[in-house]
Amino acid sequence: MNDDEKFFAWLDGELEPVDAAEMKAKVAADPELRRMAEQHRALGAQMRSAFDPIAAALVPERLQAALRPTTQVIDFAAAKRARSLLALAQWTALAATLAIGIFVGTRVPHVTDAPVEAQGGKLYAAAAVNQALDSQLASAPAGNVRIGLTYRDQAGEICRTFTATAASGVACRNGGRWQMKGLFAAPEGQDSSYRMAAGMDPNLAALVGSTMAGEPFDAAAERATKAKGWR
Amino acid sequence: MNQFSPFEDQLGSLLPRLRRFAHTLSRDPADADDLTQATIERALRSKAQWEPGTRLDSWCYRIMRNLWIDTARSRSRKAVHEAPEEEGLNVGEDPRDAIDATVDLKRVMAAMARLPDEQREVVALILVEGFGYREVSEMLGLPIGTVSSRLVRGRTALLAMVGES
Repeated sequence: MNDDEKFFAWLDGELEPVDAAEMKAKVAADPELRRMAEQHRALGAQMRSAFDPIAAALVPERLQAALRPTTQVIDFAAAKRARSLLALAQWTALAATLAIGIFVGTRVPHVTDAPVEAQGGKLYAAAAVNQALDSQLASAPAGNVRIGLTYRDQAGEICRTFTATAASGVACRNGGRWQMKGLFAAPEGQDSSYRMAAGMDPNLAALVGSTMAGEPFDAAAERATKAKGWR
Repeated sequence: MNQFSPFEDQLGSLLPRLRRFAHTLSRDPADADDLTQATIERALRSKAQWEPGTRLDSWCYRIMRNLWIDTARSRSRKAVHEAPEEEGLNVGEDPRDAIDATVDLKRVMAAMARLPDEQREVVALILVEGFGYREVSEMLGLPIGTVSSRLVRGRTALLAMVGES
């Protein structure tokens, strides 16, 4: 093991106690090694914070489905039930707020301030969220809903992220409406202004990161796409 | 991990970590999910070869890594001509706070993609997935000294790419 390897083995907690103590003393006495240790600890933390949201996010349905090959299923109705149960489980996991949204949206359709409404088995933005997605620019926040990113997803649809009072999410333009692709409840006990300052929900960030094609739109592209009716 | 749960359930509980590993190896998120799906399918087909009582996670990581090597090899010839290397790195200058998490992921993925394959897998397994040197040496069938020297080169190159900004 050369000196570099020994240094990094120490940093990774891989040295035997005697060697580790020796390396620790050596690093403490050497400003250059101390700086290197700090830089590499920060690099490790940066790597983990970039990739950990992937492990914390929901596993896409197609991967869940790959786990359960359908070749053994002979009862079509049972398979369909199983699929809808799986979908239900995923939605349930998605967010408590979503459950509220579906509930309000489907059972009490005349309530006009629900952030989502269900139609034909799909969820769409409604009320203030819909309005913000339609008209608001990220650079000009107004009201209780704030727009974050606008981008094109891998299916070619325009998608926008938003933060509302109790949740944040992403919706994509489909058939002239904003279809919900993800909705995440705000952590308990945090008010929305704090959350907006704290940045994007890691689950939402992972979802956006794994579906975005290219880069997010800048302000000019956002305006231009709005002018074209989000196409 | 529950010893008594069926293979598929154990595999299911590993999916989030396997997906993360796929994202550390792949050039982009769509490739990563394709790799994850291929790994699940291969693991299910090879179920009989897994010895109960041994670690399922290491076994699955090994499957993923081997599949990735196979596809990376056939891709690398194309990639030399395509590689928009700087593209992913420049987005770090975007001032909007809300996109930091997404941008971090893209930037770090772009940097990882520029490492040689043999360094990338070691960096991913140790720095991101948190395996020990010996576990990685057994998983990849490499001497521990080789793991250690690849890790030094990989993390040093990575720091030069992402650590300075």
